[in-house]
Amino acid sequence: MALYGSTHRAGMDPWALLDRVRREMDAAWPGLAARSPVAANVYPPVNLYDHGDEFILTAEVPGVRHEDLEITIEANRIALRGERKIDYPLEPGTNVHRRERESGFFRRAFEFPVPVDAEKAEAVCRDGILRVRLPKAASHRPRQITVNAA
Amino acid sequence: MDERTENVPSPRGELHGREKQAVTQETTRSGPVFRPDVDIVERADDFLVTADVPGVRAEGLTIRLEEGVLSIDAVSAAEPDPAWTPVHAEYRIGGWHRRFVLPDRVDAERIGAEMKEGVLELVLPKLAKHRPRRIEVRAQ
Repeated sequence: MALYGSTHRAGMDPWALLDRVRREMDAAWPGLAARSPVAANVYPPVNLYDHGDEFILTAEVPGVRHEDLEITIEANRIALRGERKIDYPLEPGTNVHRRERESGFFRRAFEFPVPVDAEKAEAVCRDGILRVRLPKAASHRPRQITVNAA
Repeated sequence: MDERTENVPSPRGELHGREKQAVTQETTRSGPVFRPDVDIVERADDFLVTADVPGVRAEGLTIRLEEGVLSIDAVSAAEPDPAWTPVHAEYRIGGWHRRFVLPDRVDAERIGAEMKEGVLELVLPKLAKHRPRRIEVRAQ
């Protein structure tokens, strides 16, 4: 448990720990059931798509500024980390009636079944949706073979 | 990448997230509709309502005020390309809906709305007579 040792302190609910391990391990790709959303207690929620020559990752990150978002791609792994900041002008006389939106740090990591080309990956954040295009490494793209007439 | 660095606990709170809650409503719109998380902060002169509606652009937003009930309806512009094959899904895409009963002291004529990075900010000014007044105490 070296990886999670720092969170495994006395009194921590083992289910919470398990949940955290699950959150941080994330995609064990081939075993994942697609189409039915599986997420509970993850931030940000992520969808992954296969588009032939590339993978697409989308994430709901409303209110996260692009400068507070860091994406690292290495071999077949993508890591997202960042912070969602909520700043209210809390001058005297301010009264909070309802507070459902959360702020804080986040970190997710996913592994793809084949390596991706980090140099050609592109990320755009618009309307609170992050979209990352991850071209598959050239050697792992699907190829169509033309059958020549004899 | 150094795994240990990656997993050092954050100095401040870590986000946990919650599954989107679907709402049932009487509209004819197809597809799921979710309940956005909101914050409501009352300031001296106004109420600030902030709602997370990722995927929504200004043109996809409808804000209505009827008989003291403020309703927010929004559609997402972030539909995935049909050519993409889903391989892992953690969130569903759909619309957003939420409604609030406004206190009498809101000036309905001057409600302001702004969309930014998938977050809706509504400013609901208080009617002038309900704003706090500061009374100067004069020295005798």
